[in-house]
Amino acid sequence: MMEKKKVVKEKTISVLLIVLFSIVALISLFPVIALVVAALSPASDLMRIGLTSQLFFSSWDFQNFEAIFGSEGTRYWRWYVNSLIISGILIILSLFFSSMVGYALALYDFKGKRFIFVLVLLILMIPFEILMLPLFRMMMSFQLIDSYFAVMLPLIVAPVAVFFFRQYSLGLPKELMESARVDGCTEFGIFFKVMAPLMLPSFAAMAILQGLSSWNNFLWPLLVLRSNDMFTLPVGLATLLTPYGNNYQILFAGSVLSIVPIIILFLFFQRFFIAGLTSGGVKG
Amino acid sequence: MPTSIPTNKNAATVVVKRKRRFNILYSKKAAPYIFVSPFILSFLILSLYPFISAVNMSFQRVLPGQVEYIGTANYSRVFNPTFYTALQNTTIYVIFTVIILTLLPMVFAIFLNHRLMKFTNFFRASIFIPALTSVIVAGTIFRMIFGDSEAAFANQVLQFIGLNPVEWRYNAWSAMFLMVFLASWRWMGVNILYFLAALQNVNNDLYEAADIDGANAWQKFKNVTFPAIKPVVIFLTTITMINGFRMFEESFVFFETSSPGNIGLTVVGYIYQEGIQRNDMGFGAAVGIVLLGIIFVISVIQLYATGAFKKDD
Amino acid sequence: MKKFLLTLSSAAVLLSACGGNGSGNEEAGGGEGGDLEEQVVIGDDIEGATEFTFWNFQELHSQFFEDAVTRWNEENPDRPITLVAETYPYDQMHNNLLLSLQSGSGAPDFADIEISQFANFLQGQPQLEPLNDVVEPELDNMVTSRFEIYAKDGEYYGMDYHVGATVMFYNEEIMNEAGVDIDSIETWDDYIEAGKQVVENTEAVMTTVESDDHFTFWPLISQRGSDYFDADGNVIFDNETNVDTLQFIHDLVYEHEIAILAPGGLHHAEEYYGFMNDGGAASLMMPMWYMGRFLDYMGDLDGKMQIRPLPTWEEGGNRSAGMGGTGTVITNQTEDPELAKEFLAFAKLTEEGNIKLWEILGFDPPRHDVWDTEEMRADNRFFQYFHDDIFDILLDINDEINDLNITEQTPNAQQEINSTVMHSVLREQSKTPEEALSDAAEAVRSRMTD
Repeated sequence: MMEKKKVVKEKTISVLLIVLFSIVALISLFPVIALVVAALSPASDLMRIGLTSQLFFSSWDFQNFEAIFGSEGTRYWRWYVNSLIISGILIILSLFFSSMVGYALALYDFKGKRFIFVLVLLILMIPFEILMLPLFRMMMSFQLIDSYFAVMLPLIVAPVAVFFFRQYSLGLPKELMESARVDGCTEFGIFFKVMAPLMLPSFAAMAILQGLSSWNNFLWPLLVLRSNDMFTLPVGLATLLTPYGNNYQILFAGSVLSIVPIIILFLFFQRFFIAGLTSGGVKG
Repeated sequence: MPTSIPTNKNAATVVVKRKRRFNILYSKKAAPYIFVSPFILSFLILSLYPFISAVNMSFQRVLPGQVEYIGTANYSRVFNPTFYTALQNTTIYVIFTVIILTLLPMVFAIFLNHRLMKFTNFFRASIFIPALTSVIVAGTIFRMIFGDSEAAFANQVLQFIGLNPVEWRYNAWSAMFLMVFLASWRWMGVNILYFLAALQNVNNDLYEAADIDGANAWQKFKNVTFPAIKPVVIFLTTITMINGFRMFEESFVFFETSSPGNIGLTVVGYIYQEGIQRNDMGFGAAVGIVLLGIIFVISVIQLYATGAFKKDD
Repeated sequence: MKKFLLTLSSAAVLLSACGGNGSGNEEAGGGEGGDLEEQVVIGDDIEGATEFTFWNFQELHSQFFEDAVTRWNEENPDRPITLVAETYPYDQMHNNLLLSLQSGSGAPDFADIEISQFANFLQGQPQLEPLNDVVEPELDNMVTSRFEIYAKDGEYYGMDYHVGATVMFYNEEIMNEAGVDIDSIETWDDYIEAGKQVVENTEAVMTTVESDDHFTFWPLISQRGSDYFDADGNVIFDNETNVDTLQFIHDLVYEHEIAILAPGGLHHAEEYYGFMNDGGAASLMMPMWYMGRFLDYMGDLDGKMQIRPLPTWEEGGNRSAGMGGTGTVITNQTEDPELAKEFLAFAKLTEEGNIKLWEILGFDPPRHDVWDTEEMRADNRFFQYFHDDIFDILLDINDEINDLNITEQTPNAQQEINSTVMHSVLREQSKTPEEALSDAAEAVRSRMTD
């Protein structure tokens, strides 16, 4: 009797939880679905009256996508390539440099280590936007405005990633380093050949997070990029929101397509993502 | 190897040189400094120098071809009604996002971790997907869903449940709602992951022990679950607060650079408006320094309040 | 360490080499990329042509320059030019231009600067080419106020596209349905009465007012001889006329209930185009140059719109106001300032250029000696959409236009009006016109004290 009551109670809880999360999942997914619907609907109507529920049931067409793959989309694909190049290089560079720093902070004892770690935390706390005007002036004086390099520079050594790699490295077996030394490895050999492979999950997690932040970065590129041909996707797409233009077709279809590389990156590294986040994330 | 006694001086130097190169590659002392050098460089060039330069600029009037020191004139101008509007908007945004993005993910993660929960992976993935969109892309579609016309989706829903349609981008409350909603929607899934990760560290034996002691759900949460996820709470409140104070894009995507009645103006938006659009970099820098002071004070208070300094690591 | 530095610096060289500057890239992408309407390359088929870049925020302006370049190259085969015209969003273009000029690189040869932004570019030492040697000889034939607004210390820096006479656009179909003869509307009182008939007899409202921009407020105060600043640059936008005018706008919406706030907040919003195109409002007060927007965005109104002078505030009062404006400038980063100046004068100052301003853009050109020429009366698409006596109306009201006083503080005034005053008075109704305007005036005055 007691058992049965308990089973009923547990069933109810289970159903309630599923109902609750179905609602949450719906709210999470709805805008994404709406984006796809918008991309398949007449663009100028959307700008004039917004997204209506009728659009979900009306006939869809691929006009917007035809436009983006046609001659009108030339500019869009140029932004796409810019974003791919910038994000690709940034992921590689920031993973490379940040992991070295985080690794050293975790596994070596050296003078100033504590000080450097405090600096990392400090920079983590300072919003980049406060330094943006002087950095911008600096870029101007070095004639770096409107270059990929200017977009990437502030993100190459990311304090978040340094912090993360340090936390992750704390859990690595220090004995391995010793035995590698005995085998005659250089300190760099130890890092690249022995320890870095052990850090793969954290690399995957950071590849996703750094990829996300550089792919979606907006304010800084908006400042330093000038010519349309140099724009990244977010900056370029934002230009299509203007009331003076007439490129809404590209805006909606382009928004949908802009998410694709991030989804690929995510699917690719997803397996490691949670593991990496778990062990590196937050240990106090 | 037979040792020749009269040592050649040259040979000695060669050995020493070799040894030095040898040392750098193998030295446990030098290696960490080389490893952290990218950070030191980036700190000097991209943080320290700009910071000094920002402080310097905040006392200047920067015009094309003319730079002059004007004392504290920029600072005395900072505290004007527009700045207060920006600060007020930003503060409200910070409060809402910190509460929503710490509390809800915590609750959701505990539920998702519940032994009676089914389809956990599916729900976790669904909630995470928004994190993959950019603010610009997500904001664009939010603008369409929350269009001003009565025919736009959000207003259709309101009318369906018997409420009046809202001109979302023109009321202070609805503008704030849009910005907070957009941020919460994008970050919810990520924060849930953080909590889920921490929940894996909870020792199940402790729950059983609590069960035996006859503890209720709240007591179990307070004594077993919360201590395990407290670091995540501190981490997320800090990160969300800082992200809140630097908010710009969530406002930009709805209002571009100028919003009706400044209902969408944030402090960083104000820096952009004054420093870039009005070309008054000195004043923009001064606003930035003031913002930094505010963040610093709040962080210290927050870290003390949460006891982060006690443990000290 | 050394190796790291080496890697970093070689990476830097590599990357910045990819970047290059604006004009270089446009050259590379120009030929094929020109099919997107944001970028137009004109005259790129001519060998040895001098290449100029041109930034604007309104793609229609590219069309005008397209024609000018073609004509220039026909008449000056020895000095051909290629023009790469790029259209950017309003904010972005002005910001980028300002920053490029400040940094000394990356700016185009020509750029359009909107009147309310122009003062930003005159601060300090203007990084623009003075145009006096080409402007001064023609000044007698021009509406000189259109040059004064872009001048500093006696140097002229910009050439406008139009006079910007503000007129009333009536949707005659709706007015007829309401039983109102638009020619009977002479004063604003008549207009309000007509509006009540429209609201009573039709589905439409009489008009829309801008809550996020100044094209309702500024023309009306200018029509009454007031402005944001007086001739000496003092803030006057809290004066009695302005308060009264803002109250009038407020009353159109809330007391007479014949107007609504423009959908999207301004008359350049996509939401507004949709609303107006569907017959949402019976009339619209905007400058003449708005004709192009009707043609481009409101195709359903073809043949229904009538242009008339503004109603007057009192008998014999002004029937228009000069509004808006965009000065084309030459930046100091151009490599051939002489050729640039000559070309710009050719495009904007000559009789033919001014006729083209009308024919292509539907603008009321700044050169007044072309207003009664044959060419201005020839049939074109604007006459077809509207009606063919547009220019008689323009000639009729042209001496009823007051000058605008543009100062360094104009962008600040503009910002206050757009983002605070109109919103709090017209939308929120949280402030009276007097409170809102005096708060805004204070905000601008406080900036002027340093």
